[in-house]
Amino acid sequence: MHSDIVISQSDGRPMYLQIMEQVKQRVAVGEWAPGDEIPSIRQLAMDLRVSVITIKRAYLELEREGVILTQQGKGSVIAPNPNLSPQVYHDELSERLDEVARLGELLGLSSDEIARRTREAANRLNEARLNEAGLTKEIV
Amino acid sequence: MSDLSVEFDGVSKRYKYFSLENIHLELPTGSIMGFIGANGAGKSTTIRILMGLVHQDEGTVRVLGHQMPAAQAAAKLDIGFVSEDMRLYGAATLKWHMDFMRPIYPRWDQSYADELARRFDLKPQQKIKGLSHGQRVKAALLLALARRPRLLVLDEPTTGLDPVARVEVLGELMAALADEDRTILFSSHNTLDVEQISDQITFIDRGRIIDSDDKEVFLDRWRRLRLILPPDVVVPSLPGVVEVGGSGRLPVLTTNRFEPAMVSACNDLGATVQAVDTMTLEEIFVANVHSRRERLTA
Amino acid sequence: MNYSMVKSLIWKDWYFQRQAILLALGGAAVSFGIVVFGGQPGFTIGLILLITVTVMISAMTMIGNTIGERENQTLAFMMSLPISYVEYTTSKILGNLLIFVPFWLTVLAGSLALILVSPVIHGFFAFAIIMAVEILVSTCLMIAVGLVSESKGWTISAMITGNLTLNIVGYLVAHIPGIKEGLYGSAIYWNSTATILLVIEFALIALLLGGAFFIQSRKKDFI
Repeated sequence: MHSDIVISQSDGRPMYLQIMEQVKQRVAVGEWAPGDEIPSIRQLAMDLRVSVITIKRAYLELEREGVILTQQGKGSVIAPNPNLSPQVYHDELSERLDEVARLGELLGLSSDEIARRTREAANRLNEARLNEAGLTKEIV
Repeated sequence: MSDLSVEFDGVSKRYKYFSLENIHLELPTGSIMGFIGANGAGKSTTIRILMGLVHQDEGTVRVLGHQMPAAQAAAKLDIGFVSEDMRLYGAATLKWHMDFMRPIYPRWDQSYADELARRFDLKPQQKIKGLSHGQRVKAALLLALARRPRLLVLDEPTTGLDPVARVEVLGELMAALADEDRTILFSSHNTLDVEQISDQITFIDRGRIIDSDDKEVFLDRWRRLRLILPPDVVVPSLPGVVEVGGSGRLPVLTTNRFEPAMVSACNDLGATVQAVDTMTLEEIFVANVHSRRERLTA
Repeated sequence: MNYSMVKSLIWKDWYFQRQAILLALGGAAVSFGIVVFGGQPGFTIGLILLITVTVMISAMTMIGNTIGERENQTLAFMMSLPISYVEYTTSKILGNLLIFVPFWLTVLAGSLALILVSPVIHGFFAFAIIMAVEILVSTCLMIAVGLVSESKGWTISAMITGNLTLNIVGYLVAHIPGIKEGLYGSAIYWNSTATILLVIEFALIALLLGGAFFIQSRKKDFI
């Protein structure tokens, strides 16, 4: 079963994280349903030309997070109730927010001003999404 | 039956201007090890000792359970070897080479050889001397892979190949590993390739192994910490720091024993951690070599 | 010792030198033609031509298939095959001797035929055999030196040395008591002196080839 997963060499993040994210995305959009078989570790290693040890690590983490289940000697499947709220995203959010706080400090902003800027950014994104949806609606 | 395909124990080899000292290497069956080193570091010598082409002065070498160099003929029945300075017979065709090797190797797979010729875009009827460098490398690789060896030993397999050929070759190497008993050892300058497909990585510099571990461990252990120091604070002393760069107020620490707790430790000491950068294998290798050479001259 | 590998290696060397070998066979055929149709002088001329062809083919194959491996960098490919120095050395020695010996035997048979046919030079019979084996010795010298040195310069020097010693040895043997008496006679003779000389020559061959084998086994850097 060919995976259709594509990894970027220029993406600065560790490869195992990229792979994890792509697996979770496929589950999120419904391409891989609970119970579906996913490529074996060796198969994916061959497809992506990535070392077995990296794929193993990605699968281990995915299993820890409850996204997949590995059956001894039978390969891996999507878990019946895949847990997609990944700790990794929370960790990344915390890291980025810490960075935001530091940059705010460098610029001499108060915590209120930093919070205001953050809210503005979230609003901007929301508007952009609404516009996308609005446009789609118009076409339909 | 050992589950190590290759074992070097205390291997030394001394030449007039260069020596390999106390080489210790363990390559588990079914894995792929990348061997990284500068020119003249000893990669090729180590590989030749592995193949029994050069006899070590000290130490033992076991390959697929055979003692080298004594049992080299038996070992080589299961090994596919390609080195950069190896040449096929120019006056003969690729087909001649395939016909020559087929009766020698019991597991020779002619249909696989034909398929590889197709994938590598090689014409078996063409004489070797008419092939470009890249085509010759692929031809040698074809002959090594078609014998379905238990161990593949490759000295610079992608050097001199164009990017498309490189991807093809890497693909075939990974495909060869579909058999879980097959092991690959390859040396390379190309740290990108090594970083992508290796399970284990070994660094060699000036005749000595300077580090050897799982790739993911390397990528986890090494970090660059960018700090901002207030005027009265000194650079915090952290474990495993091999290099301190940057300026007085904005130091950059390179450490090979990173742990997330270090970040809070820095903050506690008054230093702001501006960023924690991961390092590519190339950066890790260069930092490793520099720090080691500096330590030796100090 | 893996006999089938040695066979494959010898066959491979012959395959790559098939043109030179065919040329030498052609030269031999021409020599025969001269012998058959050249009358009285044809015999000697044909023989000399045959000797030239023999010496040249042995040098060419030796340099081609042994020195050539290192020069063309095919030695690494060869040694990546399931062989050790044993199969490699055996295939080079046997391969080159097996090309040389048929030509050499023809030269020997031709010379002896020439001697037997003319009673006036019957006395040269023993001498001819001893000198023919001497040619074999100098060829083995060239093979041994070529194998061990892997150098064109050394191999050619060995060939030249062999040729020179041939002349010196020829002179010496012709004057040894036991040989010189009957040399110009019209009777075919063989005596203990001749036997001793032959034994020495074969011992030299064994020493040269065995020595080459031994030195190969001690080589620590095959590449």
